[in-house]
Amino acid sequence: MKLPFRRERGGDDVLLELPEHERALLIDLTRQVVQLLEHGDADDAAVARLLPSAYPDDAEAASEFRRFTADDLTNRKIANARVVLATLADRPLEPSGDDTGPTTADTEPRRRGSRPRGPRPDARRLDTAAQQAWLRSLTDLRLTLGTRLGVTDAGMPADAEPHLRAMHAVFDWLGYLQESLLQTLTRR
Amino acid sequence: MSTTLDEERTGTRAEADLRLLGAPDTPWVTLVWDDPVNLMSYVTYVFQTYFGYPKARCERLMMQVHTSGKATVATGPREQMERHVEALHDFGLWATVSKADE
Repeated sequence: MKLPFRRERGGDDVLLELPEHERALLIDLTRQVVQLLEHGDADDAAVARLLPSAYPDDAEAASEFRRFTADDLTNRKIANARVVLATLADRPLEPSGDDTGPTTADTEPRRRGSRPRGPRPDARRLDTAAQQAWLRSLTDLRLTLGTRLGVTDAGMPADAEPHLRAMHAVFDWLGYLQESLLQTLTRR
Repeated sequence: MSTTLDEERTGTRAEADLRLLGAPDTPWVTLVWDDPVNLMSYVTYVFQTYFGYPKARCERLMMQVHTSGKATVATGPREQMERHVEALHDFGLWATVSKADE
């Protein structure tokens, strides 16, 4: 089975290849996290997990910490999610070796040794900054979904409703995506 | 009168100085708590890339979080611990600040 992420040969960039329906699902979920971060209630369990208390036993210190950090933290999480959306919205990469169109030459200098083995037409490119934004945003997505599903170390309850089973499958898939990105970043 | 006041003031200041010498930076700690969502590989990766600890130490800390429910990942002045916690919240880890003796 083909892994979603892989390092571009001889470079720092990572290439992402996702089937169209998975790309659409990830865009949808990421937009929901942006919505939650922009308009969510601080009492919402998912928001509380994304911005946890730094002082669980000291309400005064906790609110002080929150006052100084919550806005920046929220904005950084929104910015990370927007990087994910931008990557997914990108025009797919032109196949390597295809330099017939002027748009290819404008946006993508020909790479030395480029061959038909290069990125597939539907691949997306993540530079090092985007890789970090993706790691964090996939985490925020999993934390949000995990909170909604009441995920525990024991996994999904055996008697879970079918629609919850489907969401658990999505949760597991997000973990698979993140694991693939992590492996790509740590194995050089 | 004035002499007494001066003596008192000097005494008070000396006491304050001693307190400072005794505990210039009461140690605080950054704790990371176990959560059922974050991948073990991701927690290790965060410890490695953020703190720059050797991989073996990061794996040990990660296992401690996983099996004991929490681990002390840093010790130092309170402000520094708060910066760590904010950075770890950026990564989505469940981190808190405590006094070292708590």
